[in-house]
Amino acid sequence: MKYKDYYAALGVARDADAEQIKKAYRKLARQHHPDVSKSPGTEAKFKEIGEAYATLKDPEKRAAYDELGRQPAGHEFRPPPGWAHQYASDAQGFEDIDLADLFDALGRRHRGGHHAPMPVHGRDYETAVRISLEDAHRGATVKLNLADAGGDRTLEVTIPPGVSEGQKLRLRGKGGKGRNGGADGDIYLHITLAPHPVFRADRHDLYFDLALAPWEAALGAEIEVPTLGGPVLLTVPAGTRSGRKLRLRGRGMANGRGGHGDLYAVVHIDVPAALTDRERELFEEMAAASRFDPRAVAAGEAS
Amino acid sequence: MSTQAVQVTWLDARETLTAAELSRTCGMSPEQLAELVEYGALAPIDRTVAEPLFSGACVSSLRRAARLYRDFDLDLFAVAMLLGYLNRIDELEREVHMLRAHLPGHAGVASREGPQPWREPHG
Repeated sequence: MKYKDYYAALGVARDADAEQIKKAYRKLARQHHPDVSKSPGTEAKFKEIGEAYATLKDPEKRAAYDELGRQPAGHEFRPPPGWAHQYASDAQGFEDIDLADLFDALGRRHRGGHHAPMPVHGRDYETAVRISLEDAHRGATVKLNLADAGGDRTLEVTIPPGVSEGQKLRLRGKGGKGRNGGADGDIYLHITLAPHPVFRADRHDLYFDLALAPWEAALGAEIEVPTLGGPVLLTVPAGTRSGRKLRLRGRGMANGRGGHGDLYAVVHIDVPAALTDRERELFEEMAAASRFDPRAVAAGEAS
Repeated sequence: MSTQAVQVTWLDARETLTAAELSRTCGMSPEQLAELVEYGALAPIDRTVAEPLFSGACVSSLRRAARLYRDFDLDLFAVAMLLGYLNRIDELEREVHMLRAHLPGHAGVASREGPQPWREPHG
C-alpha cells in the first residue's frame, strides 16, 4: 500500500484542529472545484483533497491514520499488525488496497458494525443536449456515447415531443453500474434549444418579428407568415401599431400533454430607406392631408 | 460497442417521487431531507399523507445543492438557504429567457446569437 500525506494535501500542520482542517479543505475545494476551475488536473486535485479531508475530519479515522506515523508520500508500507483483522474487508492482503478504501472501510465498520460490503449505487451522469426547435416540437432521437467501467456503449435516446428550454429528462438505471447490490445510476439530460433563424421560444409559445409597411399597418392586410407546420395566412387588422403581438392560437410548439402553445407575430413597422419620386409625392400629400399626431396622446399624458 | 434504445422520464411536475426515491436521486438521507422540509426549503406535494410525495421539478436544484453540500462540507441549514437561492436563480433565468423571446429581434441586440427579424419576401 502506498502512503499518502493527507496533512500535506490540505496544507495543514499535523496538530491542526478540526476547524483549521475544515477551513483549509473548503479553501482548496473552492479553488479546485470542477465547477470553478477548468485547468487540467483539477478533478484529480479535487479528489485528492476530498480523500484527505474524508479521513482527517473523522476523529477515529484521523487517529488510525496518525498511527501510521509520518512517511514519505508514495512510500510502500505495511500497516501495523492487527489492521488486517480489524479493517480489511476480507482475507486479502494490503498490497492492492488504496489507502482511501481502507479508511472508507474503517468508517463502515464503525457505522454498521458488520463485515458485509455496503451496497454502492452506480454513478449518475449529467449531460446537456442541444436540439433544434423543430426536434423539440416533433420529438427526436439522439445518440449518447458513454465510456465508463461498463465499457463503451451508445444509447439511442428518444426525446418525446414537447420538451422546452431547460427541460430535464431522466434515464433511469442507465448510468454507472451499482456494486454489492446497489442500484445502477441514472443519466440526467439537460435540454437546451439551438437558436432558430425565425422563431424565439418561451416555453411552448413562439414569437417572431413581422415587418409591416406603413400602409399595411394602417389599412390592414392578409400576409403569409411562417409556422412550424408551414406558411399560413395572417389577417393584420387595420390600425395595427408597432409592438402589437398578433396571436395565432395553437400554432406554437407541442407541449407534451397533447396541446400546443401559441404563435405570436410581433409587429414592427418599417419604412423604405430611399423613396422613389412617386412615393415621396404620396407621403408628402398624406403628410399635408393627415391630422394624425402620433405624439398627441403622449403629450396629453405628460401634462 | 452496443447500442441500446432508451425511453426517458420527464423530470418535472409530471413525475412524483417518494422520499426514498428522492433520497437516492440526490444522495441525501431521508433524515436530511426531512430537515430540509422542516426548514421550509423543500415541500412535499401533500403533507397530510403518510408517505409524502415530492415533485420531480425539485430534483435538479436539490441535486445541485446536495453536491455542494458534499463538496464543501456545508451544514444543512446552509443547504436550505442555498436551495432557496438556486430555485430563485432558475426562476430568474426562465424570466430572462421569456423576456428575450418577447423582445423584438430588431431592437438593437445585434450581437445576440439567435433569431433575425422575419420578413416577407419583396416583389
